This record gives sequence, C-alpha cells and structure tokens, in this order.
Amino acid sequence: MSKEVLLDVRHLTQQFHLTKKIKVKAVDDVSFQIHKGEIFGLVGESGSGKSTVARCLMNIYQPAQGEIWYKDVNICDKKEFKKHKKMLQTRRQMIFQDSASSLNQKMKVSDIITEPMRIQHITPPRGSFVKEAAFQMEYVGLENSFLDRYPSELSGGQRQRVAIARSLCMEPEFLVADEPIASLDVSIQAQIVNLFRHLQEEHGFTFLFIAHDLAMVEYLCDRVGVMYHGKLVELAPSEELYSNPVHPYTKTLLSAIPVPDPIRERKRVLQYYDGEGMENSVWTEVSPGHFAMLPAEGKGCSIS
Amino acid sequence: MNNHLFELAGNRKTETVIPKSKKKWYEGKPVVSAAILILIVLGCLCAELIMTKDPTYMDLLNYNKAPDREFLFGTDTMGRDIFSMIWYGGRISILIGGLATVISTFIAVVVGAFSGVAPAWLDELIMRFTEIFLSIPTLLLIILLQAIMGNANILSLSFVIGVTSWTSIAKVVRTEVRQIRNSEYIIAARCMGAGFFRILWKHLVPNFFSSIMFMVVMNVRTAMISEATLSFMGIGLPIEVITWGSMLSLSDKALMTGSWWIILIPGLFLIATVLCLTNIGNACREQTNRKESNF
Repeated sequence: MSKEVLLDVRHLTQQFHLTKKIKVKAVDDVSFQIHKGEIFGLVGESGSGKSTVARCLMNIYQPAQGEIWYKDVNICDKKEFKKHKKMLQTRRQMIFQDSASSLNQKMKVSDIITEPMRIQHITPPRGSFVKEAAFQMEYVGLENSFLDRYPSELSGGQRQRVAIARSLCMEPEFLVADEPIASLDVSIQAQIVNLFRHLQEEHGFTFLFIAHDLAMVEYLCDRVGVMYHGKLVELAPSEELYSNPVHPYTKTLLSAIPVPDPIRERKRVLQYYDGEGMENSVWTEVSPGHFAMLPAEGKGCSIS
Repeated sequence: MNNHLFELAGNRKTETVIPKSKKKWYEGKPVVSAAILILIVLGCLCAELIMTKDPTYMDLLNYNKAPDREFLFGTDTMGRDIFSMIWYGGRISILIGGLATVISTFIAVVVGAFSGVAPAWLDELIMRFTEIFLSIPTLLLIILLQAIMGNANILSLSFVIGVTSWTSIAKVVRTEVRQIRNSEYIIAARCMGAGFFRILWKHLVPNFFSSIMFMVVMNVRTAMISEATLSFMGIGLPIEVITWGSMLSLSDKALMTGSWWIILIPGLFLIATVLCLTNIGNACREQTNRKESNF
C-alpha cells in the first residue's frame, strides 16, 4: 500500500456552545493521517466525537482550532476552501448514518442518485441522467425497477444502497461514511460492508469508516483509530489493535465484543474504564505505526 | 478471507402487493366544491361562448330591469346585462386572486426560507419585521400602497394585494424550514455544493408545501375579497372595468331602487367561489395532517 498522505488532520479541536458561557469540547486535539487508498476506521462510544470529526472533514462544521489538509489544501481556511471548492465538493463525498433522513422523501431515486451531477453541472458520462442512475443502481446491487420509486417505498438496506450510489456517482477520491451500517439489521450490515469492500477494491478510493461495531471495523478497515471523550486514544493497523491493545479504553471496548460461543461468552469479563489518567497522557508510539495515549511516565517519544 | 461468512443473506426478489383501498376515490374529498369551482372558472374562461349580450354595452332602453327571459340576471343601473357581466368580470376577479396569491406565496417562501436558514440574529430581525407588518391592518396598507402607485390596473392591484398578504405564510414557512434545515439530506446537498435557491426549490419547498397549501388556497379567497372590497369602496379598479367587486360597488344605488338582483347575483357568485375555495383549503389541511401521521 502506498504511503502517500491524502488527508492530514492536525490538532483538530471543535467546541459547541451550550449557552453563552458553557462550552462542550466535542473534539479535543485530534491528529491523524489517512493514507491514499486505505480504509481508515474510527470507533468509539456514542458522543465520543467521531461524527464531529467527520463533519469537520466535510466542512460542515468550521473547527475551532487545528488544521485539516486535504492533499495540499488547508480546508479549514475559508479562502483556500473557496478557491478549491469545486474540487473538494466533487472529490469528497459523504454517506450518512440514517438513510431515511439523508434522502429527500419527495424525490425519486433516480433524481437522488444524479443530484450531485446536476448540482455540479456535469454531463453524465453515460448519456442521460436516467441511464447514469440506472448504471449506478446496478453497481450497488439494486434493480432498475427502483428508479421511479420514492425512498419511503424502499427498505433500509435499499435506501442505504441508494445513498451509496449517490456518493459514488461523482467517482470520489475520498469517501466519509458516518456510521453507514448502524441503522441496519445484521444481515443487511454484512451486505453493505461487503459492498464497500468490493467498491473499494474496484475504485481504490480512500475511505473513512465510522462505526461502533468493532467486528465490522476489524473486517473492513486497514487502520483503526479509537476515540474517547473527544480524544484519539489509540491508532494502529487493525490486526495490531485487535491483537495487542495498549490503551485501557481500547481493552474495554474489545472486551465488550460478544462472542458467539456460550461457554466463552459466560466467562467473558467486561472491563470498565472511567477515564483515569487521561489528563497527563501523551501521544506515544508503542511500536511502529501503533500510537496510543499513555500516561506520561512511560518512556515513549511524544509527538507534538 | 472470511468473505463467505457474510454471504448468507442475498438480495431476494420480493413480490410487491398493492393493498386495495376500501375507500372510494371521492370519499373525504370536497367533490361538490371542486365541481362548482371548476364550473365557475370554466364559465369565466369561456365567457365569450356563454355571454348573451356585450357586457360593456349600455342598453339605455333596458336599465335596471329585473331578471327575465332576455336578461337572465337582469340589468344594472347603466343598462348592462348582469349575466354577461358575471362571466366576463369573473375572469378579472379570479385573475387578481390568482396573481396576488402567486406574488404573496413567492415572497412568503423566499422570506420565510431565508429567515429559516439565517443565523439567529437575522432570523429574529426578519421575524420582528414580519410581525410589525402583520400588526398593521391589511386594508390600510393596501389603500396606502395603492395611493402611492397611483392609477389602479389589474397588475398593480394584484401586486399591492400580494405584497401585503405574505406575512402569515412566511411565518409558517420559517417554522417548517427551521425543522427540516438540519435534516441530513439538506446537509448532503450542501456538501455537494448546492446553492440556497437550489436547496430551496428542490428540497425545502416540496417538503413544506403541503403545510402551506391550506394558507395558499385561503389566500386566493382573501385576495378576491380584497379586490371586491377595494372596488366597492371605489379605490380599486375603475368602474368601467368589470369585476365582481366593481359590480358590487353599484349596489348602493341599487339599494335605493330596491333592485335586489344587482347586489345579490354578483354577491352570490363571489360567496360561492370563496366558499368552495375555503372548503378545498380545509380539505388540504386535513389531508396533510393525516399524511404526517401516516409515515
């Protein structure tokens, strides 16, 4: 795999104002890099700031501090963003968690799929918009008969496929999927994850996959970052992370995976992590490519 | 790889069964109102075919005649045939009603949607302005604007009525937009680079239109009544332009002479149209309320 960096997030911090005085730090000093052509997973419990990171990457939120570099464009800088707006809007696409609300109920499936093309005034490469929509539908495993339907007439898995088709029709380089499988049932989750895998192999796009299902992340992702309370606590290649977790929170998460074996399942000990020692932790490289937020007394070289 | 583990569930072809609705198509729909309204509108559109006399011709031999076989609805104080005038004048009344509604709905949708997506302070400002606008009696505003515009014609009258009646729709639009502006499909469209007007027409309007449908239909009614009121007061269209309103404006003279047909017949037509519109508007509202819970 090439090591070319596509996306570089540096010290990203995002706050939300609850009232004028009370602030909530949703993302706190998060730094990571996504290499070209890899599937990067981001896991963590609800409210740990995964979606906020994704939305910052898509310029939906303007981060309070920090920089996000997409290739050589700092997308947090408004001027630079405007200059490269068209490129960014076509090369990056996002898939949302809830397919019911990410598709307009009043639009037909064919219109939804070709919407990005209409917005960017691109002539469809396959003749007409309808043909283009039909092609993309077939690509994600939907029949052509769905073209004239409305999203409310489709099932959850079919809707999510439509959302995927919409994001794929621009042939993006970078795809952000914000918990794309969380609202689906298990068998459909497997279909969608397999679809992602297949598409990624065929297109070679870079993929940020956000989930809280650790088994899916292990199956799909090349590298995984673990977030806890707005901080990135561990970052490692997925095999390394699953075989050798370093941070206590990662261990907690892994201990929570149910095992499909009743004997072992009963013996499974749930671990708890209450965030102790988070304040004076530093970003440490445990082994090559494996970083973790560890208490400062360790000898690791801190990267700032 | 362990690919095969996940391949248990595939895409299965399923038969779609369309449940037969037990209700007849016309149940719960304002069929009678729609029929009457369509009759009146068609009659006005094809006025030339129905008219028995020239509506502008003043037959001085037959002025103020009660309805008889020649003059179906009688004649007015200037000897014009009311039957012909009703169809001919209805056009302008309906035209003003429609045009004013289009203008006011357009303003309301743009202002309301803009206020809905604007930052809090701007939203606050626009809404307070709207409320101030709303608190001034509409008729007063119309008279003021009409006085500024000078000579009344169909366009200026519809413009004045339209410009003064957008406020309540705008408030509804704003509330609806506030609700749906954070939907993920709006965010998705913004990510793709859609501009304000594209999002407005493609995403916002189709989603909130059903909830303002009722008010839009009611607006046609209000505009027609406004036109009639203005013409009745003599500040609307000049008396030689035939509308239901200007026909009613002759009624003060008619009262003196006891000719009931001059007041009653245009009044009946106006009220019938307005009632039908109200009925249809109410049905629209019920429909949306039902649909919302049916998702």
